[in-house]
Order: sequence, then C-alpha cells, then structure tokens
Amino acid sequence: MNVEINGAKIFARIPTGIPVLGDFTINETLVVSWIVMIIITGLCIFLTRNMKVEGISKKQAIAEMLVETANNFIRNNTGTNKFDKLIPFVAALFTTSVISNLISLVGLRSPTADLSTEAAWAVVVFIMITSAKIKAGGVLGYMKGFTEPIPVMTPFNILSELATPVSMACRHFGNILSGIVINGLIYASLAVATSAILINVNATLAAIPFLDVGIPAILSIYFDWFTGVMQAFIFSMLTIMYIANAAEG
Amino acid sequence: METQPLVTIIPWTFIAQILNLFIQMYLIKRFLFKPVNEILAKRQALTDKEISDAREAKADADKIREEYEGQMAGAKAEANKIISDAKKDAQDQADKMIKDAETAAHDIKAKAEADIEQEKKKAINEAKDQIGGLAMDIAGKVVEKEIREEDHRKLIDDFISKVGEAS
Repeated sequence: MNVEINGAKIFARIPTGIPVLGDFTINETLVVSWIVMIIITGLCIFLTRNMKVEGISKKQAIAEMLVETANNFIRNNTGTNKFDKLIPFVAALFTTSVISNLISLVGLRSPTADLSTEAAWAVVVFIMITSAKIKAGGVLGYMKGFTEPIPVMTPFNILSELATPVSMACRHFGNILSGIVINGLIYASLAVATSAILINVNATLAAIPFLDVGIPAILSIYFDWFTGVMQAFIFSMLTIMYIANAAEG
Repeated sequence: METQPLVTIIPWTFIAQILNLFIQMYLIKRFLFKPVNEILAKRQALTDKEISDAREAKADADKIREEYEGQMAGAKAEANKIISDAKKDAQDQADKMIKDAETAAHDIKAKAEADIEQEKKKAINEAKDQIGGLAMDIAGKVVEKEIREEDHRKLIDDFISKVGEAS
C-alpha cells in the first residue's frame, strides 16, 4: 500500500501576471489561517465581554490571566518594561502558532505545515531584530558589528545573521511537518496491521482500520500537543530573546 | 485536487501570512489587551483611590480624636473650676450665714439688754414715784401738815436721789 504525504491543497488560482510572485493561490494554508484568526479573535471577544472592575467572572479571570502571563513573559525574559510594545506581537505570534499547530487535531491541515507561514514570521522577526540593532548602534554600528572581532569573520557573521530566520523557520516547520508525516505513517501502518490481523476472520471487517481508533490519539499527545505547544513557545521565546539582545547592542 | 509541493515557499502565501500576522496582532491588541489593560488600570486606580481615601479618613479621625481629647481636657478643667467655685461659694455663704447669725444674736442680745435696762429704769422711776408719794404721805402724816406736792417737789426729789444713792 502507498502512503502519500502531500503539500497544502490549492482551492483556487488567481493569475496576477506579476513575474516573480506568480499566481495568487487560495490554498489550505490560507483558509485554515483565516479560520485560526477567527477562532482567536472570537475567543478574545468572548473572554473580554462584559468585563467588570469588581466581582469578575471566570472568563474575565482567564482573560486577565492571559494578559498578565503575556506581560510577565516579556518582562521577565527581557528584564525591563522597554519591550512592552512587543507584547501584542509576541502574543499574536504565540497564539497563532499554538492554534495553528493544534488545529490539526480536528483534521484540518496546520497552516504551520507550510514553510511559507514560518518563513513569513521569521522574516518579520528578522526585520525587527535588524531594526532593533540599527536603532541601538546606528547603521554604521550595525555594519561594523559584522567585522568583529576580526574583519576576516565578516562572511561568517553575515551567514550567521541570515541563519537566524532560516533556522527559526525551518525548526518550526520541520517539527510540524514531521508530526504530519509520522501521523500519516502511523495511520497507514495501523490500517495495514488491522487488515493483517483480521484478514483470516472476515474480509469486510479487515477493511475497517479498527486500530486507527485510539492509538494515534495517544501518539498525538507527543507529536501534536507537545511539539505544537513547544515549537510555538520556542519561536516566541527566540523572537523576544533575539530582539532584546539586539536592542542591548 | 491540485496540491502544492510539500516543502516550498509560495510568494503570495508568504505575503498574505505576514499581513495575517499583523492583522492578528491588531485584533489581539484591540480585543484582548486593550479591554483587559483598561480594566486592570481601572482596578489599579480604584485601589489607589481606596487607599488614599482610607488614609484621609484616618487623618480625619486622628484630628477629631485630638480635638475631642482637647475638649475633654478643657471640660475637665472647667468641671474642676466649677466645683472649686461652688465650694468657695458654699464656704463664703456659710461664713456669711454664721456671721449674720452672730450679728443677729449680738443684736438680739443688745436689744434685750437695752430692754432690760429700760425696764429697770422704768421700774426704778416707778419705784421712785411710788416712794416719793409714800414719803410724802409718811411725811404728811409725820408733820401733820399737808404738804403740797408741787411746792415740795424739789425737796422730795433730792430726798429720793439721796435715798437712791444710799441704797
């Protein structure tokens, strides 16, 4: 039997005629991204409805806890209040990443299983890091930073600078994709195992992959839940650490 | 259905995801952070206000207590003054009453003495008159001669006064 792991489905193709960018495609990644955005925004609106100063409800307590956690996360990791402007950005990055990773649990394809998504985030973070560095040391200071400690190191420094977004994007993408690949393999192999066990009992029963019920859920605790939350955390953590380091000069 | 390659970067998806990220950031900011931070700020303000109110109330209470204590001390002093005044008044009055009584007693005594003296004088005068008359009667009888009282008044008086002196 064949196991096929495909990229995101393309629902529609809108020709733009722009040479490098090519056609605009409405694909699974974008559609599920919009679903994720609707879920997050709906959750935010739901949690912050009817907020009170005193005698708060459970959902308000959750909303306040989320905000406090985000504030503390940034402030504790940077050690200052200077990066409070970044809190909504990092919060958006983290929630989008978590929900995108976990949405595969309901059968949708994770937007994070498309390298375009992670590349987009990593490039945004890279631009933020670079602008923080330029803000801290000026354009010349930024340029000079590449020639340290000795000018011979310049190419390697440039390479390591560029490696930052590439590694961030590929780390996240690789983890999620590997989860999808392994899940696909497990489903397929369990179906094969079921038919192998039941083929001598009844041919019709053997066609139903009984072992696919339950067992993949246990494995998904690691491959979906743990990896999904962990990668989102790592991505946000690296974002804030890189930017904080860059701002220190 | 057409699928894209497993590992690829589609330029438009890439751009769309950047925009999505920023839209998501705005939405989270607008619908989660803004209202929650507003509520937190309100609560902070409320707490601060309550603390400052409590401090104010405490200061007021201290002021009132000080005032009250001052008033109490004043009232105590006043009470003491009233009591001592009353004591002094009572003493004065008692002294005055005793003095009045003494004076009155003295007056009564003096009056009584005067009365007694007067009565005595009156009695003596009456006695003198009676003695005078008696003497005249006796003398008349002795000299067998009518002595006219008017003519011999002087003589009789002399006699009586001599009798008085002798007695």
